[in-house]
Amino acid sequence: MPNRLTPDFDYEAAIKECAAGRRPALEALYRQEGPRLLGVAQRLLRDRAWAEDIVHDAFVRIWNQARSFDASRGSGRGWVYSITRNLALNALRDTARETGVDEDTAAALDARDAIEAWHDTRDAFDWRASAGQIGPCLEQLEPVRRNCVLHAYVEGLSHSEIAQRLGAPLGTVKAWIKRSLQALKECLA
Amino acid sequence: MTAAHESPDSLDDLAGEYVLGTLSAQARREVQARLPHDAKLRDAIARWEERLLPLANLSAPVEPPASLWPRITRTLDAENAQRQRSAARTTSGLWDSLFFWRSLAAGGMAAVLILGSTLALQPAPAPGAAQYVVVLVAPQSQAPGWVVQAQAGQNAVQLVPLAATEVPADRALEFWTKADGWAGPVSLGLIKPGEAVRIPLDKLPPLEPNQLFELTLEPKTGSPIGKPTGPIQFIGRAVKML
Repeated sequence: MPNRLTPDFDYEAAIKECAAGRRPALEALYRQEGPRLLGVAQRLLRDRAWAEDIVHDAFVRIWNQARSFDASRGSGRGWVYSITRNLALNALRDTARETGVDEDTAAALDARDAIEAWHDTRDAFDWRASAGQIGPCLEQLEPVRRNCVLHAYVEGLSHSEIAQRLGAPLGTVKAWIKRSLQALKECLA
Repeated sequence: MTAAHESPDSLDDLAGEYVLGTLSAQARREVQARLPHDAKLRDAIARWEERLLPLANLSAPVEPPASLWPRITRTLDAENAQRQRSAARTTSGLWDSLFFWRSLAAGGMAAVLILGSTLALQPAPAPGAAQYVVVLVAPQSQAPGWVVQAQAGQNAVQLVPLAATEVPADRALEFWTKADGWAGPVSLGLIKPGEAVRIPLDKLPPLEPNQLFELTLEPKTGSPIGKPTGPIQFIGRAVKML
């Protein structure tokens, strides 16, 4: 099982070693998280080669910026994921994949009475098994709002893409996401 | 969007949406531009990153191809080599800025494409005679503006414009070069914008790989102190052609 996470992997120590210029530490980090980071990037970008480019760029950045990592501001694992997700999201937004629905179309959706359309209570994600600490807080969100959050974080969908996916008005989706984030924050506090 | 009149709530909303990924390209860039000097926003983002990190587990792992790690190490090796070359230089400022030369590399492709078409017009160099080229690019935009060509053995360089260069009426372009180990840049004289010119290097040692060339904006009659005083307009390093 090459993908298995070593449970006691010391991310902070590995990043510190990288800052000291020790390449095996970066390789250990890559063996530990490469498959998961590639999974995250591929889910966001929906393109294998592009996702590999992002993981390549992420590890180059991890190496070059290891000295700027500050353990008092967050976990080492979180830092590594943030670098990867930010590169992927920047790439995604900069290429403006959003050909599916523009603001006008979304406004038209707004105008129509779509209230009936999003009484969908099914989960779009199998989140219960793997969401860990945030799981109980996700549980407290209505399924449709939970889906909004997960479409955004996991799949990189924009507000208008989510609106289109759910058949819900853009303004409503924006409000749902805003309030869901606030609810998650309170729940996790 | 400024931090000055932004409530803690709206700052935290912004941080949350940034981490969630719902911000537009423009809004993402604005957030990223604020990060270096906005500790509150940085902290808010760091907290959101930690909160939402468990959601990353929802994406199934994908086994990377065996080639991906070697590709990463190749990039790091190349950067390392470049860093060492850069560290070997001793002067200060832009001449030695690793960041500058790294960012320059990103803009290099456009220059290489232009170079390719320029060089295609040149006769093949005599066997054994090393030829140097330098693409001079604008420091900010990294747009190529001039190309310097030199045949080893002939102690002269040819400076060829690739694009129009705007020079204010009361200023002039001065051409400079500096090789490793020289105390400072040496003036190669004033240059007329948009005109190709051949410049003898009679009093200078033969060209070296990595030798720096730059064009700076100076007073009409050239720098009064024999060293660059004005802003760099174009800059580049000599590359030996195989």
